[in-house]
Amino acid sequence: MNKHRADLLFLAPLFLFVLLFVLVPVIGALINSLFRDVSFLPVKFTGLMNYIRLSGDSAFRKAVVFTLLFSAVSVFLEMAAGILTASVINEEFRMRGLIRGIVLIPWAIPNVIGARMWQFIYQFEYGVHNFFMKALFGMPENWLGSPAGAFSALVAADVWRTTPFVAIIILAGMQNLPTSIYDQAKVDGAGMIARFFRITLPALKPILLIALIFRTIDALRIFDVILVMTGGGPGGTTSSISLLGYKAFLQGDFGYGSAISVAIFLLAFVIAMVYLKAGRIKEEI
Amino acid sequence: MNEAGFKKLLLGAGIALILLFYLSPVIWMAVVSLSKNADFLSRGRIEITCENFKNIFRERTLYFPFYLKNSLIVGFFSALFATLFGGLAAYILTRTDSRLKKILMVGVLAVSMFPQISLAGYLFRMMTSAGLINTYTALILPYISWCLPFALWILMGYFSQIPRDIDAAALIDGADRFRAFSRIIVPLALPGLLSTFLLVFIFAFNEFLFALMLTTDHNARTVPVGISLFEGLHGELPWGNIMAASLISALPLILLALFFQRYIFKGLSGGAVKQ
Repeated sequence: MNKHRADLLFLAPLFLFVLLFVLVPVIGALINSLFRDVSFLPVKFTGLMNYIRLSGDSAFRKAVVFTLLFSAVSVFLEMAAGILTASVINEEFRMRGLIRGIVLIPWAIPNVIGARMWQFIYQFEYGVHNFFMKALFGMPENWLGSPAGAFSALVAADVWRTTPFVAIIILAGMQNLPTSIYDQAKVDGAGMIARFFRITLPALKPILLIALIFRTIDALRIFDVILVMTGGGPGGTTSSISLLGYKAFLQGDFGYGSAISVAIFLLAFVIAMVYLKAGRIKEEI
Repeated sequence: MNEAGFKKLLLGAGIALILLFYLSPVIWMAVVSLSKNADFLSRGRIEITCENFKNIFRERTLYFPFYLKNSLIVGFFSALFATLFGGLAAYILTRTDSRLKKILMVGVLAVSMFPQISLAGYLFRMMTSAGLINTYTALILPYISWCLPFALWILMGYFSQIPRDIDAAALIDGADRFRAFSRIIVPLALPGLLSTFLLVFIFAFNEFLFALMLTTDHNARTVPVGISLFEGLHGELPWGNIMAASLISALPLILLALFFQRYIFKGLSGGAVKQ
């Protein structure tokens, strides 16, 4: 057999699968978004109608604001917690392997299970959160039933479940820092904390940017945690863009749902580009 | 206090915080699953029981054993094929220098950036018209595809560390590419293949949106969908059962995380985390 043809055979499954089950669906969604494609009505080409409807949809606008705010708050906290976690598990100590394994647990278990755990932590009558609230302030509060409470509960669940990923990426970055960058600082007598802020953090900038991009793109498509914990409530205040898209599909409105999913993709793309520009990562690669 | 002592103190505090933050929700889940009444905090006393665990396997309307079986099967085959196809492609790509390689790698990675919701609607249509809705195949096919870019990147990291001379020598001796791959590369890259398999398995076991849209009942529904839909006969949430089912389903993954942490760290960081 021709050698090059054999090489193609090795690559064929990868391309076939990515083409059929990723690219075709994405292009399909793009095309679908230009049609009125609702159950029980004939499919009709309507151009940008779905997008025009989207721009006037107050539920969509609210979902965009919520998704951006949610992503900003939770990604910021995840980066902070990720840096702290990575700093600890980068040190040498006994049972470090076990601690590293424990750090992985929130990442390894299904999001739905994590969401159920947090939902019950915040359960109004007998959740552990209100148990402490009662003990400390004497007043239980229905967290998942109030917009601000539901928002913070979702952030807590999201920070818990995704910090391990951030920590892993940052740990890899820390291990690849050359130890020589610390030598001068030690001679200068800079303390541990000063070394961390003046040397470690700046040197980690490229890897922090990578973690930031991955996490932001992922946070913008938040879905499962919200569906389980609040269902988008109370009163639609925690409805993410993905949840809105899912609900459109559920109602059989494929054209509109597709337009929503294209919108998330564009949003994620624009934000990733902004990061790349701001971080000037291009020159460093 | 000197710096070394201060550092020790910080480290101890850090470890304590990590244990508290990462473990306490899991412990809460375990306690609720073992208690007779989920409202033990407001009752002020707790009764320990295994009833919840017995119940999720006995209560037929919960279908929990089905969900568990489905998740294991879907996870296994998705991981197997994603690792195999990713390995084949990674092998060729690490053995060529063509300019196409970089374009392919970036292109494939860009593909994995698509939000899942932008695929889900069309996949639903596709699987419906193919008559595959509510089958394992409807889940395994998209899972393989969704994980392949990731598998490719991890495996390329491992394969590029194997000197080309090793398999080039075998090729000169008359072995064909596939033989060189299966007899030389696979044994050498076993840790990389293992971490890829684990990561894809965990992903497929945990995936929610596709599973929610592409399955309709216990014949194909996976654990996450099942647990998200758990309801008592009268619409109330059976918290004891939910937490027991969650704990049982999470246990294999927790064990994987604890025992294979070094492979997972290595895999997720593209081989960059050292021990």
